[in-house]
Amino acid sequence: MPIEITVRAHGDYYAPVEGAPPDVRELSKQTLGKQVRRVGRFIQLALIGAARCVGTETPPAHTGIYMSSRRGDLETNLEVLEQFFKHGHTPKPLNFINTVSNASCYYVARHFGLHGRSCFVTGVCFSFEMALQAALLDMQAGVVRSALVGGLDTVAAPLEIDRRRLGLNAQTPVGEASHWLWLEARAPAPGETTLEAVEAFADRDALAAWLKQQSFAPEKTLLAEGQYLDPADARALRGETALTRAFAYRESLAYYDGQAGAALGAYRATADLDGTALAHINGDAEGRFAAIVARRSA
Amino acid sequence: MSAPAFLGAGLHTALGAGVARNIDALFQPLPHPVLQEIKTPEESVGAPALLLHGRPLENIEARFWEAAEAVVGEAIEAAGLTREQVREAALVLGTSSLDIAVSEAIYARELAEGEDAYPLTSNSTMGRLAQRLRQAHGVRGPEYTICTACTASANALIYANMLVATGRVRHAIVVGVEIFNIITALGFQSLELLSPHGMKPFDSKRAGLTLGESCAALIVGASSKRGAFHLRGSANLCDIFGISAANPDGSTVADVIRMALEDAGLAPEQIDGIKAHGTASLLNDEAEAAGMRLVFPKLPPVCALKPFIGHTFGACGVTELILFCGMAERGYFPATPGICAEPSDLDIRLPQTPQALAPGVFQLNFFGFGGNNTSLVIANAD
Repeated sequence: MPIEITVRAHGDYYAPVEGAPPDVRELSKQTLGKQVRRVGRFIQLALIGAARCVGTETPPAHTGIYMSSRRGDLETNLEVLEQFFKHGHTPKPLNFINTVSNASCYYVARHFGLHGRSCFVTGVCFSFEMALQAALLDMQAGVVRSALVGGLDTVAAPLEIDRRRLGLNAQTPVGEASHWLWLEARAPAPGETTLEAVEAFADRDALAAWLKQQSFAPEKTLLAEGQYLDPADARALRGETALTRAFAYRESLAYYDGQAGAALGAYRATADLDGTALAHINGDAEGRFAAIVARRSA
Repeated sequence: MSAPAFLGAGLHTALGAGVARNIDALFQPLPHPVLQEIKTPEESVGAPALLLHGRPLENIEARFWEAAEAVVGEAIEAAGLTREQVREAALVLGTSSLDIAVSEAIYARELAEGEDAYPLTSNSTMGRLAQRLRQAHGVRGPEYTICTACTASANALIYANMLVATGRVRHAIVVGVEIFNIITALGFQSLELLSPHGMKPFDSKRAGLTLGESCAALIVGASSKRGAFHLRGSANLCDIFGISAANPDGSTVADVIRMALEDAGLAPEQIDGIKAHGTASLLNDEAEAAGMRLVFPKLPPVCALKPFIGHTFGACGVTELILFCGMAERGYFPATPGICAEPSDLDIRLPQTPQALAPGVFQLNFFGFGGNNTSLVIANAD
């Protein structure tokens, strides 16, 4: 019998950024109940998002951590590069160690006392989807029974330069976010959300064939368009699948890379969706696709 | 359905370009690291390194992409994949420093040209390396870049194997890339973990590591061929003892070794040999030796491969796996002449000449910054 994966909780940090990126040390201290020293904003935001996700609960020690980000701890990497190439200073040991992407996983694990799987996954357009798929693979294999899956994207000062890195014009609002899900390998209680599938597709034909196999009932299925999905592909998918009920969760968000990380939390937080499925479809500039399917139990 | 197995590989390290040349070199004397000079305003730092064979540190961008793309091509050819099979395959990359060598070169050039330069404006997307490798070979399947420091490509193999085993893809290309870059060299220098005299894992004279370069690729795919190497079990755990060192009592190392054995359905006495991580640092070798002793009442033969290629960080998982499998397929267990000839303070002895080896079951261990511990159990026998 296939293992069911239930979303036990979700938690988010999201803030538009204007001017300088915010100092989050006080927020981190309030959220965690203590100051985590000698870490940058990326790790602080990872901890804030994860702590908001688990709330007052304590995840079991075997819980796995799966983190995703398109650009990782950009500020720490920029600092180390500028200090050497511009100012001639060699990296300080801890600064260097914190350039490894999975340092954020370590600090989250240490804060919650976890010693399960630890994985940092990145990609161009599907970072969050692939981290979620890694968790799903481990849970369906029975290797992991509890998982924290996070998607984290930050900006770096000065914002006009960071917008250039992101390929954005000067007027585009930018933001930062740390989205987390707590997954458990168990059957859902009524009203709980299950994660049913996370899949990647080489092209639209492969996606369309897979969607057809899923036998979604249009009246009971919401279609969420991912951040990088081409509008023409979105229109075509709506026509091919007859999934016309849209789930809009991104309209009010400033630009950041991993907006897919917000989808399941937003779905989970929406009332009156019992018995309704969510199909989240993302795409990239090459015509490849990724899908997440979740369902609210009746 | 046939189980996933290793179908073909590509490799470029300090030992040579091509898997066969690398394996040939494991029968030769150990190479000597060369000091790479890095100039700072105050001093000149010599970072001991074993660079890609035949690839001096020139024209950094072309050097990087050509080497990385070539090993993927070598692996695809060795596995005999068709263009359609390649198109549908997954690409799972494990790396620690990504393409930072390229970003460093671009930033240094922009600064030298007097521009108002900022780092990572040419690329700040961590997935670019995997994307470029995928595009270069026409791969359109799932793409992961796993960044878990020195366990990255070992973890990449675990997920690649699952993608194949669950039928999501028929083939997965596991890639490990680690190329010399200034920040990594200076970072390890600042940690006082570099040794100019080569790596001597578990030896009483161990004094640190040599920076290694590697581009490695392995094709995982369903195979009904008997005797093909395959991943029989694996484990990855987070060690929260410290961000840069495993618990020296060996307990967390033992945990991941035991879990991999359990996943493989094996008892410790069924392991025919161990490929140790062996970074030659004082504390990590101590933790690894203690961990092995906790699990194995009688330690099977242990080998270490970093003296030949340096520490290739995120690439060491798939790189050392390819080297180990290549030696085993020729019927030998690797040796490191002159290192740990007698039991050291850690009570470990390494073979001094390659030892005859029958097909069997072997354990390969990897430990990384961020408390990331991974153990693989591979087999070419039932």
